[in-house]
Amino acid sequence: MSGLAAQQQALLQLLFEWPQKNATDLIAINAVNTWARGLKVYKSNAHMLAERALMAAYPVVSQLLGPESLADLARALWHAYPPERGDLACWGDSLADFLQASAQLQDEPYLSDVARAEWALHRCATEPDRVADPASLALLTTHGPDTLGLVLAPGCAVFSSAWPVVSILGAHLQGTPSLSEAGQALRAAIAQDMVIWRCGWRPEFRQALPGEVAVLTALLEGRSLGQALDTAVALDFSQWFPLAVQTQLVLGVTHEF
Amino acid sequence: MPPTSSDPPLSSGQVGIGWRHLHYAAVLEQRPALDFLEVHSENFFASGGAALSVLEQGRADYPISLHGVGLSLGSAAGLDPWHLNQLARLVERIDPVRVSDHACFARGVLQGRMVHASDLLPIPFTPEALGVLCAHVDQVQTRLRRPMMVENLSAYVTWSLPADEATWAETEFLMRLSQRTGCQLLVDVNNIYVNALNAVRGLPDVDATADALAACRQWLDAIAPECVGEIHLAGHCHVHDALGDIVIDDHGSRVCDAVWHLYRHALDRFGAVPTLVEWDTDIPALDILLDEAGQARRILADCSAQVSA
Repeated sequence: MSGLAAQQQALLQLLFEWPQKNATDLIAINAVNTWARGLKVYKSNAHMLAERALMAAYPVVSQLLGPESLADLARALWHAYPPERGDLACWGDSLADFLQASAQLQDEPYLSDVARAEWALHRCATEPDRVADPASLALLTTHGPDTLGLVLAPGCAVFSSAWPVVSILGAHLQGTPSLSEAGQALRAAIAQDMVIWRCGWRPEFRQALPGEVAVLTALLEGRSLGQALDTAVALDFSQWFPLAVQTQLVLGVTHEF
Repeated sequence: MPPTSSDPPLSSGQVGIGWRHLHYAAVLEQRPALDFLEVHSENFFASGGAALSVLEQGRADYPISLHGVGLSLGSAAGLDPWHLNQLARLVERIDPVRVSDHACFARGVLQGRMVHASDLLPIPFTPEALGVLCAHVDQVQTRLRRPMMVENLSAYVTWSLPADEATWAETEFLMRLSQRTGCQLLVDVNNIYVNALNAVRGLPDVDATADALAACRQWLDAIAPECVGEIHLAGHCHVHDALGDIVIDDHGSRVCDAVWHLYRHALDRFGAVPTLVEWDTDIPALDILLDEAGQARRILADCSAQVSA
């Protein structure tokens, strides 16, 4: 290892060391002449960035935990799973697993599913843009479903949870249902399937209709409309399709899939 | 918002502001009289979505300066190909007036895995560090097919190097970087001042402001004018706590009088180079940021007038 690489590795080790039990020894060993004060500037900045990044990506988890617990969580995650990229919007994807593994949060088992859903919403916001093509819907009248595919919205994803994730997100982000109703669903451990997509610039979510997770999963895997419908016998296509087009979950029809 | 009668004409020098999320809508609605907008490149690395659309709307009215905070140009572990790809795609899309990043590192191997500290960490001013920095600046410029600018940083730790290891002054290090790679320097006047204040803090019998100003003038005088492509201005804060005093480049307040004074000195030396006013913490109403930009424009005009006379 070059001298420069060793110096840089030493400073990174100091910054990511957590808790700070060995920091003083590391300073001495690695010949980094620093002040504790200067090091604290970098650490404080990192912790502030971590907290902001989690609040941006996980607004509901942030509300559920409260500011103090969120700050603690952000620090812990930062040191356990440091950023790998120079774009902080990419950091935080390991939160759901981190929450699931946390001994302190075993009494809140739904939190990790809320985090998974929020991460999908967070990433959905930055997916490549797609433009709706209403004219392509006419293909449905001229071609059989086995030769057609559906063009889905950017960031389209489905998510099945053993918890009422849609209600929890809805109560905190949209005010519907009420927090009280979401709490009741949580206590009753109501499982919910969720659909996530982007309508224009806005990430959207709602509870999946019967059979919708199956049909969207098949379409996301690149199967034809006919094959997708075969996997989703519970889906009422005549009810679902107009809704999906109207809400821009489906942007068009293609025979190139 | 058209320029007021008291504002110097735009042609007297380019002045821009850091365009942050809080002011996206206000700038697009008000279209203030600015010569360019600066954004942090990493905030627009997405493949699509609202932020990128806003940037493209801004690009329709203003030249955009892409200022990076995450390339980690001085990292011995190399550049992140993903990061460079994202930047290249953004440059292609926006066609910025300038592209810049910092003379720092953030990326390295920690316990067998690559990490990024998400900060601007200092590099020693050694031949080895210069070699790494030059190689990476070359790599970026080749990939982007355009020159870039590299900014001096405010540093809160200093490297203690073996006595037999050669080091340069920061200015000589940066000049060599510019000469070897053809990149221009982005001189952050506030960073120079913050470093100078921190260098004298705690020393007995010093007039901190006077000594820092003298050190900064010396710094600026050591940089060749032809190497400088842009100047940055921002606010800083003084922190006093149990661990001691320190000055932090937080970009969270108005530019202080001492930095305005140094800005005049910099313009006298470098000429009317484009100037950016940054504000990233506790961001105020747009009018306050525009007021700071107006102050920069008046000083630029004064200096330009003196040169003309």
